[in-house]
Amino acid sequence: MTSRTARRGARILAGVVSVALAGVLSGCGSSSGSGGTQTVRFVWWGNQDRADATTKAVALFEKKNPGIRVQTEFSGYAAYVQKLTTQVAGGAAPDLIQLDRPTFGEYQHRHVLADLSRYTGSTLRVDKIPANLLAGGKADGKQYAVPAGQTTQMLVYDQDLFDKAGVRVPENGWTWEQFAKDMQKVGAATGVAGTTDFGWAVDWFDSWLHGRGKQLYTADGKLGFTAADLEQFWNTTAALRTKKGVSAPEATTKMDGSTQNSALVLKQAASEMNYDSNLTSYLSSYKGTLKTAPLPGDDAAHSGMAALPPVYFGVAQHSAHKDAAVKLLDFLVNDPEAGAVLGATRGVPANSEVRAQVCGAATGDDKAVCDYEQRVQQRMGPADTWQWPSGSSAVKTDFQQVYDDVIFGRTSVSAGAERVVENAQQALEQ
Amino acid sequence: MANTALTRPARQVTARPAARSRSRRRGQGAAYVFLSPWIVGATVLTVGPMLASLYLSFTDYDLFDSPRWVGLDNYVRMFTEDDRYWHAVTATLEYVVVSVPLKLGLALAVAMLLNRGRRGTGLYRSAFYAPSLLGASVSVALVWRAMYGDGGVAGRVLGVFGIDVGSMVDQPRYALLTVIALAVWQFGAPMVIFLAGLKQVPKELYEAAALDGAGPVRRFVAVTLPMLSPVLLFNLVLETIHAFQSFTSAFIISSGRGGPSDSTLLYTLYLYQRGFTDFRMGYASAMAWVLLVVVGLITVLLFRGANRWVFYLGEGRR
Repeated sequence: MTSRTARRGARILAGVVSVALAGVLSGCGSSSGSGGTQTVRFVWWGNQDRADATTKAVALFEKKNPGIRVQTEFSGYAAYVQKLTTQVAGGAAPDLIQLDRPTFGEYQHRHVLADLSRYTGSTLRVDKIPANLLAGGKADGKQYAVPAGQTTQMLVYDQDLFDKAGVRVPENGWTWEQFAKDMQKVGAATGVAGTTDFGWAVDWFDSWLHGRGKQLYTADGKLGFTAADLEQFWNTTAALRTKKGVSAPEATTKMDGSTQNSALVLKQAASEMNYDSNLTSYLSSYKGTLKTAPLPGDDAAHSGMAALPPVYFGVAQHSAHKDAAVKLLDFLVNDPEAGAVLGATRGVPANSEVRAQVCGAATGDDKAVCDYEQRVQQRMGPADTWQWPSGSSAVKTDFQQVYDDVIFGRTSVSAGAERVVENAQQALEQ
Repeated sequence: MANTALTRPARQVTARPAARSRSRRRGQGAAYVFLSPWIVGATVLTVGPMLASLYLSFTDYDLFDSPRWVGLDNYVRMFTEDDRYWHAVTATLEYVVVSVPLKLGLALAVAMLLNRGRRGTGLYRSAFYAPSLLGASVSVALVWRAMYGDGGVAGRVLGVFGIDVGSMVDQPRYALLTVIALAVWQFGAPMVIFLAGLKQVPKELYEAAALDGAGPVRRFVAVTLPMLSPVLLFNLVLETIHAFQSFTSAFIISSGRGGPSDSTLLYTLYLYQRGFTDFRMGYASAMAWVLLVVVGLITVLLFRGANRWVFYLGEGRR
């Protein structure tokens, strides 16, 4: 009796297992062998306007390349980085990846990105892209990523609030001292903080450092600043915080570079530092009149502003469809039609011909970006961009986290600055 | 005493005729065949990864390059150098200590209301249970953020009473409270268990107590609580473990950062950040093992302490 039931049990089990296996096998089959068409996965972060433009450009690409299907994903920056890391570590990296300076350093050092050198000059055209932008996507003389555009720092402000306070952007831009005074003036006259507390991001610290002949990281990947530098920078914002010169901690803590959480857009500050690659997004989501001004700097030669690639595109090392991914990359960066659709949603186009065409025909929000770039050309400082070291991603998040502790009074400026430098050195050693 | 009584029949089994034991073994074989999917799943998906993470906790592993053995470095750094680790421990303890009693208290109170068997009880039961089904979801956490955020409902309601708190989720003082509120709101699961426990309390006990002149409070303290204490222990253990593992709500409400100023940095959230944004999987594994050991210890302590206050019916003979 028992042995018969056991045998029957085994037979049923064998049946169940084989059905399950068959399901798994057929599942595999249908996903890989889809005859002829290749599917390229393309991911980026950004605001809604960038997503709208990119989706349109991708549709155009698919129409021109019937053999290639493009699957897109986008999200906010923090979620993007976490999800991407998980996918890459799990061997399921997307084919075409949008990167910024920290993530580029991180992924190139960890051998996630494909060397594009064998495509450059043939299927990937880079000859129209300025050398200083291209350099940011290079490591050991090889091209691992291609800049998607050109951007520079800006202060975007609400014209009405500034007018109400009688604050005008000086002819030659602000010095830091004047800027601090004017922001307090705005705060006092309007009740809205003069500007978003700019101590939260490494980016504004970097451009502040540039004004002093320093930078976050040296070209050989070492930390380029000391705790004393950071202490001085954070003391600047601390002095403004008490007088409504900069936004309150509750508004600052939310900042992540997106317009959705922007203190300016939420009317908690009258102005904000950002890159002009986000200007179109500000203009489309802000109720009121926005104008742009260059960042403060002690003189025009030390404005701390630079022409930078807002984002890069890189191709995954283990991508099964590298050729198709490179084709899409080339299309997004160099194709005039794609340029027309994308406009200035990743800064002005990197390709100088496309840029001339886009800016020549630009209207509305795109035109504002082109005009701004034109206007501040004389103030741009260092021309080179270089690869940031691995660990710079962790430094970026840690910087903001420590600043939170500073603005909420959990730690002093000097102790916080020490902590950032200490943690940064540890992160870079790794 | 109890131990010897239990083992004696087992010895008798081995003394039985060989034929019967063989057929029994064959029966066990079939059982194992049927259990095999579960056994395979448990080894491959649970035990294997656990052992791997135990190994990784002694290494420096960045997810991309192969792990490098560093001995106890991760553990030492965690306890001595990492400020944020202690922020996470503090936030988690605060969360557990406040949310678990509140949740259990609310669950018990509502269960007692529903136990009266008025009209529409079924409807109310489902209504109170619903949040537990929704609570772990991302969408509710998003709604929570909107409710307690800038210009949210919570701020406006408090404003009516002249209390101006602003955006609660963006202030270290209040942010964790919003996460706790979300946890307490999901009291449905312990409530259902309490309800089942309340149904088991013999009616005679209440009648006898009432005859002796005990009021409602006295009846609650002298009858309900002792009779319910095993269920209370069960809920307490389960909810404590559950609270230590909370992740989603804090992750969504703080946009993955555990902020402002680490106030909502629950242990699991920091573990996740260490692993997936800082690329320190070895460190994250070490954190996971410390959590496992600590939760295990706390559970043991809860059970030990239970001897003093948990009452099992029929135990009186001992």
